[in-house]
Amino acid sequence: MSQHERDLECVRRMQAGDERALAELYDRYTPLIYPVALRILRSAADAEEVVQQSWLQVWKGAAGYDPRRGTVAAWLLTVARSRALDLYRSVASRRRAEGQVDPEPLARPEDPTTSVAQRQVSERVRKALEGLAPQQRQVLEIAYFEGLSQNEVAARLNAPLGTVKSWTRQGLMRLRELLPQKEWV
Amino acid sequence: MSEHRDEHLDLCAGYALGSLDAADRQRLEAHLAEGCPVCQAALGDFSLGTMMLAASSPPAAPDPALRERVLSAVRATPQSASPEVRGAPEAPSRGRVIEMRPRRPAVGFGWVWAAAAAALAVATAVSWNAAGRVRDQLANTRGQLVQAQRELEEERRWAAVMNAPDARVAHLAITPAGIAELRARATYDPRTRSAVLVFENFAAPSGKDYELWALRGAGVASLGLIKPDASGRAILRLENVGDPNELAGFAISLEPTGGSPGHVAPTGPVVMAGKFGV
Repeated sequence: MSQHERDLECVRRMQAGDERALAELYDRYTPLIYPVALRILRSAADAEEVVQQSWLQVWKGAAGYDPRRGTVAAWLLTVARSRALDLYRSVASRRRAEGQVDPEPLARPEDPTTSVAQRQVSERVRKALEGLAPQQRQVLEIAYFEGLSQNEVAARLNAPLGTVKSWTRQGLMRLRELLPQKEWV
Repeated sequence: MSEHRDEHLDLCAGYALGSLDAADRQRLEAHLAEGCPVCQAALGDFSLGTMMLAASSPPAAPDPALRERVLSAVRATPQSASPEVRGAPEAPSRGRVIEMRPRRPAVGFGWVWAAAAAALAVATAVSWNAAGRVRDQLANTRGQLVQAQRELEEERRWAAVMNAPDARVAHLAITPAGIAELRARATYDPRTRSAVLVFENFAAPSGKDYELWALRGAGVASLGLIKPDASGRAILRLENVGDPNELAGFAISLEPTGGSPGHVAPTGPVVMAGKFGV
């Protein structure tokens, strides 16, 4: 059974009310979604809150998952990212109202509780990102982790919208190419 | 059906990344809703690219207790009975389901992770081996260090014999039976009853060994064979050489290979002898 089939099976079991299926997905994908939430929010407490709310949302909305719209992993990631961005925006606007500045990005000490595979994958992707043209990388990171639309990214970088669009496309394809093609046959 | 154009691929990328502006999103969704195989395939690729971007986040793990908090909350939360689409800002409009990759298997991130990890396995094995070598070298170096420390300690101990304030020194003199090149000097520390003896030009003739004797009162006691290096030089460090009240000096005899039978007394000629302070 492929990973995707196992994921789908978990969603089917969740839809039938099996909490163990959620526990299985939690173990498999929290290592993916928590770092994203943490990177967006720069606060472990906020990121944990987002992760908890995301899993609850996935549990409650399991019946609404449609495999034709994308993979389970993409669904989980979309839920967590959009929740993290929502919280980030509300926290940021409150800060602005109170005249505070955004916190600095978190320092990146090696987290000893993460798996070796996780650190290696992350390291490999980071290296691949470093191989992108700086603007391509910036466009991807600002759009994804700060939740800016392409128009907003163009304004921020003072670049033409068309350029932002093509950088996005080239950058994502480069990242996609990190994965072995033969697996698709 | 709207014709596929290259700009649609730009839109697909922004769609997968979740960064399309509303107008572009509507435009792409209208195109996708009519079924564009090129865009559907591209969306799958861009979606994987987006997951890789997500995976570039510095690895981190939440508090382990979060798992139980989540599961407790889940147990207390009823599920929605009817299908809902939540949390997908780029979700296509209701009514039309857009298939992202109808002709190829969909792929979960777990697979992405596994594939990337597998690709890294070789590199990991190499690093592991390298790490193993480093560990071996380290262990080896530690061993050498311990050995060097022991030797240093030993040298200090013997240097203390040589430098003891009341050390006694005996220069051994050649007897008529000895060859002229022989040189031997003994330093004895009465406090520790240890002695250091230095011999030069002590290459024994074939079939012979030089044997060292302690002169104690009226008798002698064997202190063992003198085994020089290729240059004929030897240094002996001996403990319990003898009671300072009895030990008078040393003598060296030329014995058959293996030394005097029984090592009770010299059987061959005494080639050198010397007493302390003489």
